[in-house]
Amino acid sequence: MLYDIRQTTTYSYQVPVRVVRQVLRMTPVDRFGHQHVIAHILDVDPEPAELEQGTDFFGNGLTWLTIDQPHGHLSITTRSRVDVTSTPLPDPATTPLVDEVRAAALEEMDLGPDAAAHGLFPSRAVPIDNEITDWTATSFRGDRPVLEAALELMHRVHDEFTYEPGATIVTTSPHEAFAAKAGVCQDFAQVMIAGLRGLGLPARYVSGYLRTIPPEGQPRLEGADATHAWAEVWCGPAFGWIGLDPTNAIPAGDDHIILAVGRDYADVSPVDGVIVSSGDHILAVGVDVVPVQGR
Amino acid sequence: MSGAEQRSEVFERAAAESLIGGYRTLPATRDEMMDADGQPRRHWQPFLAALAELGPEELRRRFSAADRYLRDSGVFYRVYDDAGGGERPWSLSHMPLIIGNSDWEALSAGLIERAELLEEVLQDLYGDAHLVADGDLPAAAVAGSPEFLRPLVGVRPEGGRFLRVYAADVGRGPDGRWWVLADRTQAPSGAGYALENRLASTRALPDVSRNLNMKRVAAFFQALRTSLMKLDRSGEGRIGLLTPGPLNETYFEHALLARYLGFLLVEGEDLTVRGDTLHVRTVAGLRRIDVLLRRLDSDFADPLELNAGSRLGVPGLVQSVRMGGVAMANALGTGIIEAPALLAFLPRIATRLTGRPLSLPHVATWWCGQPAERAQVMEHLDELVISSAFGRALPGLPDGGSVLGADLTQADRRRLSTLLARRGADVVGQDIARLSTTPVWTGEKLTPRPFMLRVFLTATEKGWSVMPGGFCRISSAADARAVSMQKGDRSADVWVLADGEVADTTLLPSPDNVKVRRSSGTLPSRAADNLFWLGRYVERAEATLRLSRVLVGRLAESGDTGTSPLVSRLLGLLGAWGAMPRDLARATPTRYAVAVLTRRDVPGALPQLVQAARSAASVIRDRFSPDAWRALVDLETCVSQPVPAAPSEADVAERADAALRIIAAFSGLASENMNRLTGWRFLEIGRRTERAIGTLRFARTFGEIGAPQGSLDALLQVADSLITYRTRYVMMEARGPVLDLVLLDPDNPRSVAFQVHRMANHLKVLPGRDQDAPPPLWERIVARMQAELAASTAESFEPQWFDAMEKMLMQLSDEVSSHYFLQGHSPEMTLTFGM
Repeated sequence: MLYDIRQTTTYSYQVPVRVVRQVLRMTPVDRFGHQHVIAHILDVDPEPAELEQGTDFFGNGLTWLTIDQPHGHLSITTRSRVDVTSTPLPDPATTPLVDEVRAAALEEMDLGPDAAAHGLFPSRAVPIDNEITDWTATSFRGDRPVLEAALELMHRVHDEFTYEPGATIVTTSPHEAFAAKAGVCQDFAQVMIAGLRGLGLPARYVSGYLRTIPPEGQPRLEGADATHAWAEVWCGPAFGWIGLDPTNAIPAGDDHIILAVGRDYADVSPVDGVIVSSGDHILAVGVDVVPVQGR
Repeated sequence: MSGAEQRSEVFERAAAESLIGGYRTLPATRDEMMDADGQPRRHWQPFLAALAELGPEELRRRFSAADRYLRDSGVFYRVYDDAGGGERPWSLSHMPLIIGNSDWEALSAGLIERAELLEEVLQDLYGDAHLVADGDLPAAAVAGSPEFLRPLVGVRPEGGRFLRVYAADVGRGPDGRWWVLADRTQAPSGAGYALENRLASTRALPDVSRNLNMKRVAAFFQALRTSLMKLDRSGEGRIGLLTPGPLNETYFEHALLARYLGFLLVEGEDLTVRGDTLHVRTVAGLRRIDVLLRRLDSDFADPLELNAGSRLGVPGLVQSVRMGGVAMANALGTGIIEAPALLAFLPRIATRLTGRPLSLPHVATWWCGQPAERAQVMEHLDELVISSAFGRALPGLPDGGSVLGADLTQADRRRLSTLLARRGADVVGQDIARLSTTPVWTGEKLTPRPFMLRVFLTATEKGWSVMPGGFCRISSAADARAVSMQKGDRSADVWVLADGEVADTTLLPSPDNVKVRRSSGTLPSRAADNLFWLGRYVERAEATLRLSRVLVGRLAESGDTGTSPLVSRLLGLLGAWGAMPRDLARATPTRYAVAVLTRRDVPGALPQLVQAARSAASVIRDRFSPDAWRALVDLETCVSQPVPAAPSEADVAERADAALRIIAAFSGLASENMNRLTGWRFLEIGRRTERAIGTLRFARTFGEIGAPQGSLDALLQVADSLITYRTRYVMMEARGPVLDLVLLDPDNPRSVAFQVHRMANHLKVLPGRDQDAPPPLWERIVARMQAELAASTAESFEPQWFDAMEKMLMQLSDEVSSHYFLQGHSPEMTLTFGM
């Protein structure tokens, strides 16, 4: 599936800002077995004094920028063309047992960007939470295939939680979202990750986009008008990371475009920045994901 | 051993007997001073003999001299759990720990070997991670550490080294071997405290320490400074000590080391990354800084790429490190070595990397991320300590920290067993180390207490240099198990005895390598800001004290009541700047004065002013002499002393006099000891501004035509100009001469004219002032005030004149702040004026 994606992020400041220094994670990159990036353009207004591009530890596209002229308005626009051909979901019954995956994760001899070990431990935004772990544990008997259990967990989150924009904010902890049984894609993904990690199973966080207009006859997916998030669970060395979208109760497939992966939202937040200003700011984000015709 | 040596040893033993007669070592525990037969060890004998010779009376006197030294130099550390957020005074055990030369050399060699190994481990983990790929270290044992900083992977530190300062906590086991209990690689603390302990103990026992050939510690600090200087590529000679700030528990040490080593004490907000290089914001603009001695934990160092919630770091610092723009000691990410999980694999890694086992053992550790080790730990739970593998709090375990397996209840054990089954990787089991004891002086006799020793190493071009001595923490309990030592409550100096003569070293450079320098160095904007406000707070405190003194003085002299017009004018002045409590209506003047001097809940009253002065000063402690700092502490002590239940006027006057004397001492010390450097000028500008504003107010209130009787006398008193007036005029107070003296007389150091002239002089020579450019706004304001004062006579004062002058002073303060200090910073530093 070929997509044209456009994301605009606009800051309006009440008091003009003198200096802005930011790190952006808004550039999609090639993901083996899932997507290929054909073109990407980043526009920043006003013109940055310094701009460098590179990748972070997890291989995500990173942009460092500094703006050092007074400005009342900052807009960041990205346009990407991405070809998504996702690997089909394996038969859950063929995946290793929960106990096997837990043991295998500890034996891994890989510290690279996609290593299971990075998904195993509590992270800044997803601490281990005993309540979430105990709630998750009912799906994860040791002798059950891990993907079967993980799919069940995905459905439980989808069924028991209410999708409710505005119920949570970007810093809401999994514990709070779990207590409220409500939230948005970020909360659902982080609750799933917390539960899996609590049981010693590696899990990680994915930020990305969903196609905006559904194919004919199918419902519009939740979260399509903004950036989306879902979880990946590690299913042993043979199967690796498998993406599950608890917001829509579907595996991550051809409708999902990956922007960045990390341990939690803190690792992939699209903009980390420090603003020298005395006033407040207003943020607006717009996303368009359009399938390219003629394919 | 020669006959003479034998005789002297016999003599020493006999003399020491009086001191150690009742000393009983703990069962099954090694003692540093006594051997198993109850005889003092040889390297302790000369010391014990020297102490015995001094006699108990003299010893007590000497030891209290050491305490006094520490108190007077303001050595403290901050206690987080203290309800008052207080600073705890330093507690020094008067008996040093004495270590013989060969024993020390073996320990040093083992630690150097360990430091080299740890450097190699860091190079590998932040490089290609061969140790993981080759199976010597599980990936999870690395990835589990919150100090494994992924943005730093693949970044080669400037200068090529990760570790430049390494410390190890060591203890000695029953068999006499030293054991490493923990590695300190993040930002080891304690070297500065060790230095203070050394100063205190040699002050108490100068003759004894001299005669014993004790090794000096100064060379260690010299080595540290030299090796950091070598990293300064821009050659501007600036090295920063990066501190989290005065709320950190070891902030005192940061200030002390910065002063001792000649480094700039900086907080994150003092620094900024431009391009790829690091700069410090100074009153003269941005200045490059190439080297940081880091006392801030890595994770907080950069909100852009590390902890986004950190307000202590420098945005862009990681990128600067990546581009080689700044060298750090230690490099970012070195804290990963401190994870107990790593200890389980270090023996294997040592053999792998160096081909031989570590000569210095560390406490045996089992990482429960491995099935066999996990089973082992559960089976031997009662003989082990259970700890967090990566320093995080463990859910479901009491305390969150280390716990003795034997102390776990049945419920705890069930929780632990669930935790191990789910997340064994978070847990380690460790052997219980039994520590040796060293004598402490309890005021009457010597008693054995377990201790832990922190030894410091620094990397030099010629390899690692070890500080001969260290920071010894002593347990208050007799329990010799290392786990109970986490909060050592007393520290001791550590004397390493040399075999031969010891050369003197101090940190003052030898004459042939001193560069002559007259420039004022670098003054960070934040320091200037705090100095300016310190000046204003101290001056405001002084004015408040003078008003209070006049308030009770009037009463005592003339029997004025609370409703007399003069008293109500005094109260009006105090009320205008918020020194007066609102809940006190129609009280006696004495009660008002007491409230102004003692009420902690009133924002403008004396206690809060003094507190504000001290917090401003605490941020710039590296810029004060210990004596000036001491004066501020004394002031706070004086102010917080309780007042009698029914205070008399005399009590109030006495309190005010005492506080004013301390302020006078502070002023003297500040101007004598701070040199005429830029920092002193900002302190001065602050004081002069505040004094000018205050004096204008007093003159307006008491110098008004038709002011109540006694007003002019009150004005001369609050403006501290009574004696000058009396020497100049033999007559009674008259309005013209009094106003001339306190407002216009350029030779009266209390007059407004004098303050304005001083400010003009200071402003002209501040750094960054382009002498060819037209004068900046703040200089023009001062010039206008000078002209205004020169053109006035004592007859010309109208209320509008006072308004205009005060407005100009406020404007001046704002202009200086916005130009020289950090923008948008320190909203907490304000003073109310009211109108």
